[in-house]
Amino acid sequence: MELALINELRKLNRAIALIVGLGLLGMASFVVADIALRQVHASFGGTEEIAGYAMALVSSWGMAYALLELGHIRIDLIRSRTNNTSRALFDIFSMIIMSWVVVTIAIKCWPVVERAVENGSRANTPLATPLAWVQIPWFAGWVWFALMSCLVTLAAIGLLMRGRATETEPFIGAFAEQDTLK
Amino acid sequence: MITYVSAGLLALLAVSIPVGIVLFLLGFGVDQFFSNFPLSRALGNMVWSSSSSATLIAIPFFVLLGEILVRSGVATRTYAALDRWVSWMPGGLVHANVATATMFSATSGSSVATAATVATVAMPQAEKLGYDPKLFSGAIAAGGTLGIMIPPSINLIVYGFLTQSSIPQLFLAGLIPGLTLAFAFLMVTAIICAIRPELGGNRRVFPFIQMARALVDLVPILILFGLIVGSIYRGWATPTEAAAVGVAGALIIALAFGGVNWAMMRESLLGTMKVTSMIMLIIIGASFLNFTLSSAGLGRELTEFMEGLGLGPLGFIMVVVVLYIVLGFFIETLSLMVVTIPIIVPMVLAQGYDVVWFGILMIVLVEMALITPPVGLNLYVVQGARKSGNLNEVMLGVIPYAAVMLGMAFALIAVPDIALWLPNALR
Repeated sequence: MELALINELRKLNRAIALIVGLGLLGMASFVVADIALRQVHASFGGTEEIAGYAMALVSSWGMAYALLELGHIRIDLIRSRTNNTSRALFDIFSMIIMSWVVVTIAIKCWPVVERAVENGSRANTPLATPLAWVQIPWFAGWVWFALMSCLVTLAAIGLLMRGRATETEPFIGAFAEQDTLK
Repeated sequence: MITYVSAGLLALLAVSIPVGIVLFLLGFGVDQFFSNFPLSRALGNMVWSSSSSATLIAIPFFVLLGEILVRSGVATRTYAALDRWVSWMPGGLVHANVATATMFSATSGSSVATAATVATVAMPQAEKLGYDPKLFSGAIAAGGTLGIMIPPSINLIVYGFLTQSSIPQLFLAGLIPGLTLAFAFLMVTAIICAIRPELGGNRRVFPFIQMARALVDLVPILILFGLIVGSIYRGWATPTEAAAVGVAGALIIALAFGGVNWAMMRESLLGTMKVTSMIMLIIIGASFLNFTLSSAGLGRELTEFMEGLGLGPLGFIMVVVVLYIVLGFFIETLSLMVVTIPIIVPMVLAQGYDVVWFGILMIVLVEMALITPPVGLNLYVVQGARKSGNLNEVMLGVIPYAAVMLGMAFALIAVPDIALWLPNALR
């Protein structure tokens, strides 16, 4: 069951990452178009600002995808020199800590959004973007990342409880660098 | 505080907690034990302000640019073309390895991607033509490290962002040391192969007509590089804008060579998302740690710490060099840079060194980290592409190149103008 869950989460986050990636490509085209317009003394205006918002969204919504693809860098110094079971324990321990930190981040991000919504704050820029518009989706990305971390951790603990700790390797263990580069 | 943070850093990294998460944990620790007011309240703001940055979006753009060039087969063509141009020197095809790695580092900004690309293309050739596997694979692993030195470099963008120094200045400063290193790699290869010809393969001399034809594959990449770097230097575009133009240019080149399809675009975008998210978790964590450290009074403590050491500026920088070499055995490039910036850079600046100069010195030192075992990512990448032989051969093969890098580090300390002349001349 746990492995099936991980599979579904992977598919889902792949789709999200692809959508965000296409957004990134869109942002690049927007920047190029703006440069072209400047040559004829016109401009969309506010490209810098929009690029900043795009980057915030790319980072928050890409985190869970990197997690499920084992993309977040870890230093494999002691872990790789132990046997399969202790390796799984290292991985589960590290996932528990990670989930706790990410949940904390998500919680601490809320006051930022709350303030933007309550005060109706606008960016101090020519576009005067209402910050809630960009901060709500940004915050949602961090909540999503926290949720995914917790689900992955629970799946791993579930397997551990049933004596199948070594089966956690493919989704919280193996350092992905080698296989992604083939 | 410095001692606790450094010890905590090493301990948490050693138990394989993700690097980005370790930085947040240390930030929480500083807040808990060393600060009089609750710094974690600012966490949300820090996460927002450090990720909503128009400068940082240059990172995914440059990653995407590299992914497009590699996945559309442009890299393969470049390798074949450079073979025509540089393999006449003693060492033959080994020079093509270094030259290809240099060119791709100039466009893609990622060392690992560069090494992976060249290794995949080059390795089958090595076996066919009977090269010594040690030097051949060592040249790829070492050449791949130039990716973070020659602009546009993602690592320099990260350094500039975290130390609030000028990215165009850093790019200018990296150009001469980067090209010098590439040239020194070629020279070392030629010298080794002139002394021991059995290590390299035959010199490969091609008729001029073939060399001329190969230019079709080389020139577009050179133009792209010129476009990106030139527009930043001339002040026509910010690094972000230049990166966006680079993506467009890479797509045009890939289209012209017929390498663009949906599957390739999908993989490029997904690869970009994965790398970007990994980098961003570390950057956001480092920004938070930076903030807690300086709020808790790191500056004062550092001054006292250094007076206690009683080293002059030169003695101090030597300690830093040794520190990076030792840490480089265990920690990977970007992580090594980011985890040390909050602690080391303020100390270096307090000694009166230039922030741009130190950025370049740091890059040389962390480049070495990429090829020093036991944790040297490029070694594994090249080994992964070889499919035969063992890792020790790659490790032996990189020794001459690692020596060249160390030489470059000392040269930068002795003659800071190697890095600073160009940015000062064009200011």
